[in-house]
Amino acid sequence: MAVNIPEFIIPLIPWIRGTVGLVLVGAIFMGGMAAVWIERKLSADIQLRYGPSRVGKFGLLQLVADAIKLFTKEDVRPRNADRFLYDNAPVFMLTSLFLMLVAIPVGAVFINGVEYPLAVTEMDISVLFIEAVSAINIFGIFMAAYGSNNKYSLLGAFRNFARMIGYEVPLGIAVVSVAVMTGSLNIIDITSAQGTFVWNIFLQPIGFVVFFIALMADLGRLPFDQNESEEELVAGWVTEYTGMRFGLVFFAEYMHMILGAFLVALLFLGGWNVPAFVANNAVLGLIAPTGVLLLKTVLVLMTIIGMRWAVPRFRIDQVVDMSWKKLLPLSLLNLVWAVGLGLYLGA
Amino acid sequence: MEEMLEPNEMIIHLGPQHPMQPGPFRLNLKLKGETIMDAEVEMGYIHKGIEKILENRTYLQGITIVDRICYLVALTNEECYVGCVEKLLDLEPPERAQYIRVIVEELSRLQSHLLGLGEYGEFIGFVSMFMYTIKEREDILTLIDMVTGARITHSYLRFGGVRADLPDGFKEKAIPILNNLKKAINDYEEMFNSDTIYRERTIGIGVLSADDAKSLGVSGPVLRATGVPYDIRKVEPYLVYKDLDFKVCTETAGDCFARVQVRLNEMRESIHIIEQCLDMIPNGPIFPEGTPYGRRTPVMRVPAGEVFHRVEDPRGEMGMYMVSDGSDKPYRVKVKGPYYPTLQALPPLIIGTTVADMVSIAGSMDGCTSEVDR
Repeated sequence: MAVNIPEFIIPLIPWIRGTVGLVLVGAIFMGGMAAVWIERKLSADIQLRYGPSRVGKFGLLQLVADAIKLFTKEDVRPRNADRFLYDNAPVFMLTSLFLMLVAIPVGAVFINGVEYPLAVTEMDISVLFIEAVSAINIFGIFMAAYGSNNKYSLLGAFRNFARMIGYEVPLGIAVVSVAVMTGSLNIIDITSAQGTFVWNIFLQPIGFVVFFIALMADLGRLPFDQNESEEELVAGWVTEYTGMRFGLVFFAEYMHMILGAFLVALLFLGGWNVPAFVANNAVLGLIAPTGVLLLKTVLVLMTIIGMRWAVPRFRIDQVVDMSWKKLLPLSLLNLVWAVGLGLYLGA
Repeated sequence: MEEMLEPNEMIIHLGPQHPMQPGPFRLNLKLKGETIMDAEVEMGYIHKGIEKILENRTYLQGITIVDRICYLVALTNEECYVGCVEKLLDLEPPERAQYIRVIVEELSRLQSHLLGLGEYGEFIGFVSMFMYTIKEREDILTLIDMVTGARITHSYLRFGGVRADLPDGFKEKAIPILNNLKKAINDYEEMFNSDTIYRERTIGIGVLSADDAKSLGVSGPVLRATGVPYDIRKVEPYLVYKDLDFKVCTETAGDCFARVQVRLNEMRESIHIIEQCLDMIPNGPIFPEGTPYGRRTPVMRVPAGEVFHRVEDPRGEMGMYMVSDGSDKPYRVKVKGPYYPTLQALPPLIIGTTVADMVSIAGSMDGCTSEVDR
């Protein structure tokens, strides 16, 4: 994206990007903790309970207590585990999430009405990159399951693969539809192109539904948590994990959720776009866009979380069925619609 | 099982500890991918030797022991045991005691079904259902607690009566709780009927035919879900059930959905029964007058003889066969629980289905392993 950058900032740009990246790595961990807290409070609300309320105000420090517990727990490893795979699976999963983080802009600042997105990198195919690194997350799951040498883990991982193969296709097509309509694979361009109120959710409602359902399946949240289904497979692919290794896997799930929520907000809900008078304001232009984006992200996150406590779980064959027989045709229909709309808007 | 494995099959041992189990038993599954090729139930992990213990305790001490057969239905277990002894003694409890017994037993049925529903919701992934039903169950347990002084193991029934009369203000407290529960049951039904995922997971899953159910000896809601209107309270009325107006709830499909629906309807009938009892209950003694049996009869001798008595447990037909040799202890007590036959129906139902359906089917049976092993 071509923007007019003031002369004196140009040599500082790598430093700014680096700083943003460092801040993001810390922020995403904090965000993961916040997401866990939101999940606990929200689920408690849905289930007529109080949720955490003893540790800190509103139970805010509960997560700190949990983290201390996880760090001090014994690191139990199954005797016949494949050590390399078992040990490195959580690391692999976190790495794939950090790679995703590199490409996702987490906000923007407007200086003199000119937009500067807060992203670590600005690549032209960032949407494809995000999809790709999001999809390799599953290898971490399979590493964990295979390395654990546990039948429940293995069943969970197989379910995960079956689901992933089914859902990455409609997910990809839904993203491509957006990209085709905008005419760019750069997520920053896609977001900026939406303007303040002309969000992609209004232009491609079917695409949004497909994307959201596929994303839920990708994240492995109920009703799509067949890989972890507690009542069937004990804990699915995480059965053998304990201590901080479990902590990492656990956090990875929530971080993935946050990044997924960011994607929904950026691709379909208008991202950081604010009305011109806000963008031109010296103070508001610095704060408001990022705030708007974060607000949207939190709302999407709460929807994803709330869904988990309000519906039963699909069976794995029903999930795969739904993907190939319903979502794929819908996503293709949406692609045709997007091409037409793109031509009309572009003309 | 082990020798017949093909290369792409594996054996998975569910249990003795598994989140889906109502108590420890082992389910050996031969899996081909997700499909169950063969299944085998192994029991005996929670054998408590209750029948033998009963032979070594006086009749009165036995009441406390039969509570522990299944902690969810302690009152119906007691009714079965006490009924046996009453038959041997040729003793009939006074009307008021009979009404009180019906009230507490129906309350016990309500709490058992509520827990079963909640657990079933959890088994198919709807975790919140458990919280909803457990909240209503808490109110019912409070009511039972008011009458019997305990929430789970009551030791409340006595030969010829009950330990204590209904407390003051019981009716005033019970009516609003029951009305709330009625609303809650309607909510559950609406939730179940409107949820697409729930319907997909339950309708047509684990279909048990009426003939199979009868030949396996299945009883209770699982049998009634296949369309057989068999209820001991109607077939062989005990207590005052013959004076009360209630109907036997049946469904015809015989699948998981029908089993849950039967339980929902049965809860409505139970509430109806309790309401009638609260209106109709007469004043009077809670022990038969002119007999030596009262609440304080630690040692009593029961005439020699043998007797079989059965009651309608929340899970089906609960029967006890008792032999007395005229001493102060039973010579032999044989318990025939309802869930043992139901558990035998599990392997044929789950063969050919998937692991996820297995959980759904086993959950809809609403089991209690504690009572299977005794």
